[in-house]
Amino acid sequence: MTSNTRPRCAALTKAGEPCKNYALADSSLCRAHQGAAPAPAEPSEAALRQELSVELDNLIARVESSDGDYRPPPFSPQALLGLLNHNLRRLSPESVEALLHKLRGYVNSDLLDLDTWKGIWYIVNYALQQQADMVKRRFSGEYETDDWGFDPEFLAIVQPFLTFMYRRYWRIEASGIENIPEEGPALLTPNHSGQLPWDGAMVGTAVYLEHPSQRLVRSLYASWFPTLPFLSSIFVKAGQTLASVENGTRLLEENQLVAVYPEGIKGVGKLYRDRYRLARFGRGGFVRMALRAQAPIIPVSVVGAEETYISLHKSEAIARLIGFPFFPITPTWPLLGLFGFIPLPTKWHIDFGEPIPMDQYGPDAANNLVLVSQLTDQIRNIVQQMIHQRLAQRRSVFFG
Amino acid sequence: MAQPRTVLITGVGGYWGARLAARLAAVPDLHVIGLDTTPLKTGIRGLDFVQTDVRNPLLADFMREEKVDAVCHLAFVESNRRSEANFDLNVMGTMKVFGACTAAGVRKIVCRSSTAVYGAHPENPAFLGEERALAPTSRTGTVRDLVEIEAFCNGFRSQWPDIALNVLRFPSIVGPAVDTPMTRFLHSHLTPTLMGFDPLMQIIHEADVVEALWHSLCCDAPGVFNVAAEGVLPLSRLMALGGKPLAPPVFHLAAYWGNPLLGGMGMPVGRLWPIELEYLRYPWVGDLCKMREILEFAPTYSAAAALREFTARRRLAHYTSDGGRSAQDEELLRDTIERRRRARQRAVAVNPQGSLEIGVEQGEEDFV
Repeated sequence: MTSNTRPRCAALTKAGEPCKNYALADSSLCRAHQGAAPAPAEPSEAALRQELSVELDNLIARVESSDGDYRPPPFSPQALLGLLNHNLRRLSPESVEALLHKLRGYVNSDLLDLDTWKGIWYIVNYALQQQADMVKRRFSGEYETDDWGFDPEFLAIVQPFLTFMYRRYWRIEASGIENIPEEGPALLTPNHSGQLPWDGAMVGTAVYLEHPSQRLVRSLYASWFPTLPFLSSIFVKAGQTLASVENGTRLLEENQLVAVYPEGIKGVGKLYRDRYRLARFGRGGFVRMALRAQAPIIPVSVVGAEETYISLHKSEAIARLIGFPFFPITPTWPLLGLFGFIPLPTKWHIDFGEPIPMDQYGPDAANNLVLVSQLTDQIRNIVQQMIHQRLAQRRSVFFG
Repeated sequence: MAQPRTVLITGVGGYWGARLAARLAAVPDLHVIGLDTTPLKTGIRGLDFVQTDVRNPLLADFMREEKVDAVCHLAFVESNRRSEANFDLNVMGTMKVFGACTAAGVRKIVCRSSTAVYGAHPENPAFLGEERALAPTSRTGTVRDLVEIEAFCNGFRSQWPDIALNVLRFPSIVGPAVDTPMTRFLHSHLTPTLMGFDPLMQIIHEADVVEALWHSLCCDAPGVFNVAAEGVLPLSRLMALGGKPLAPPVFHLAAYWGNPLLGGMGMPVGRLWPIELEYLRYPWVGDLCKMREILEFAPTYSAAAALREFTARRRLAHYTSDGGRSAQDEELLRDTIERRRRARQRAVAVNPQGSLEIGVEQGEEDFV
């Protein structure tokens, strides 16, 4: 009786047939395959099959929930191979070879049944259809933006670049990401540095790449940016908005994750010799919005961004002439023109601190000037301490 | 306040006056009086038309005699130029009509304004509340007069708390029939935008403007309200939906410096830019919380739906002599029936106390 329910060996014989021996008690293989075959590869094949079909089912379910109307063209093996053949031209020769080998292996070992192939057909077709439709949709305006102007398709286009800057260029290490709640409002308060607001983009990317629920960070930017062409519309499309207590409170009340840079322009435009010395934390507006929305404040420290541009001097005269809030002079800017915009590949650390709850103060606390200024100072001190801790551990600006 | 018995519409010869009068003709147990200086070009069924100027000193006597209990003040001339004659009609006319209302015991006044009075500023929050100080960036006569009227309304409200005064601030209005800066912008062959600027915008459908005016004549919530369609659109998406996906971008400094230059050379710059540059550069989006919660008004068209209809009608107008009106009539009516049913269902979902109406039918939800 017991022998019938025992699982069979998961390995394949030399002829490619499934092995008919019973598996050992503590493994998924029989006695013959246990020693002979490389152990980790063989048992994983059954699991792989399972995993692959589950993944496919998940993908299909996701497509169906987001776009119920999509119907793939009728399935046939020839059509699938044709489609693959047609699209493989875009890949590099090595990856094509690897992919075809893998597919061939699956076909020979009849690991997958027809339904799985149909699933692959569905997903490949859908992905191509979506790409082909995108241009059409952009031209007819049939895409989604929310009331703040956030355009998910735009973010998807720039995300690979941001991921490259995050993973490869600055090799950012994030810690304490678990301090950000899965859902519900929270206010991130990082230090600001680096002449250009790269740190804002990277804090958003850190949360997107490292946080399990990939939350969108709504950064609040200074009122100077809306006056600039391109930057203003890019910021809005990426889901950010102007820094004002009204906007921040409203976003927090909509249960969003908001990032505010209380140092503002003073922080970005720091001279190199003042690096990692926090400027004044605004007028406490960020504390007021957190108190009003009763959202926790999460102090954040960004170390490494200060050294991306080395600001030796700030030219008041040029700044006033062209209407900029500050005009930095670095070894490469404005000497080398646009090359001066290339940031140095320093090593960054982004640390998310313990959340500071705001719900014990009550809804009227936002009008309590003493409390607001106390909390502002407290959070500023925490951010400064986090920076100091990280700086004490850092051995090299470029290697961390 | 329940539905008024006698409504006086000033400026009934104008576009909005005529639209509202035509809408109110369908309302039972309502006496609609329309005032204008010139006879109407087309008659409106059920309208009691009186030819007079709103600045006539005998207006109060007339209103008392006719037992007018609600006034919709729509006598307003829109113009880019700042002219003394327009100012006299728009601002002084409003003061005189309101004065007559106080003397005649009118209980309700509704007038129309624009969200352009907030001004388009880089430091504008994403949603402008009604209590925000007015700082228009427009130099047109229309906006200047509206700001004057709004200032007068503020004083009037505290002086005459018994009269329920509603000021409705509408964003750009679009629709198949109406002529506004936004429709002129979308109709023109060249629709230049400012390079690198894509401000968030609100719009409202012309039919919803009329509905909002009638809704506030009946409702019991005085005050200033932003009234706009659901959905805030970036200008680029608005223009793509409006059938102009390829807008030539102009560098903003070139536009700022070039416009007066071209204007000085006698070029019709105003026709090229029906909407002023600042309003194409910075956001001026009104907060709709008060509209939803206090005024309890729900526009039937969303912003995207209004633009889709506008574009469809404009395309059709190329092929038919009557601007495609008859060809789309049936289609539109079917849309209207469906939209109203959905609006009712939404209202039921929001306010389940009054949920004696029909339940949500499955499958109807997908209808657009």
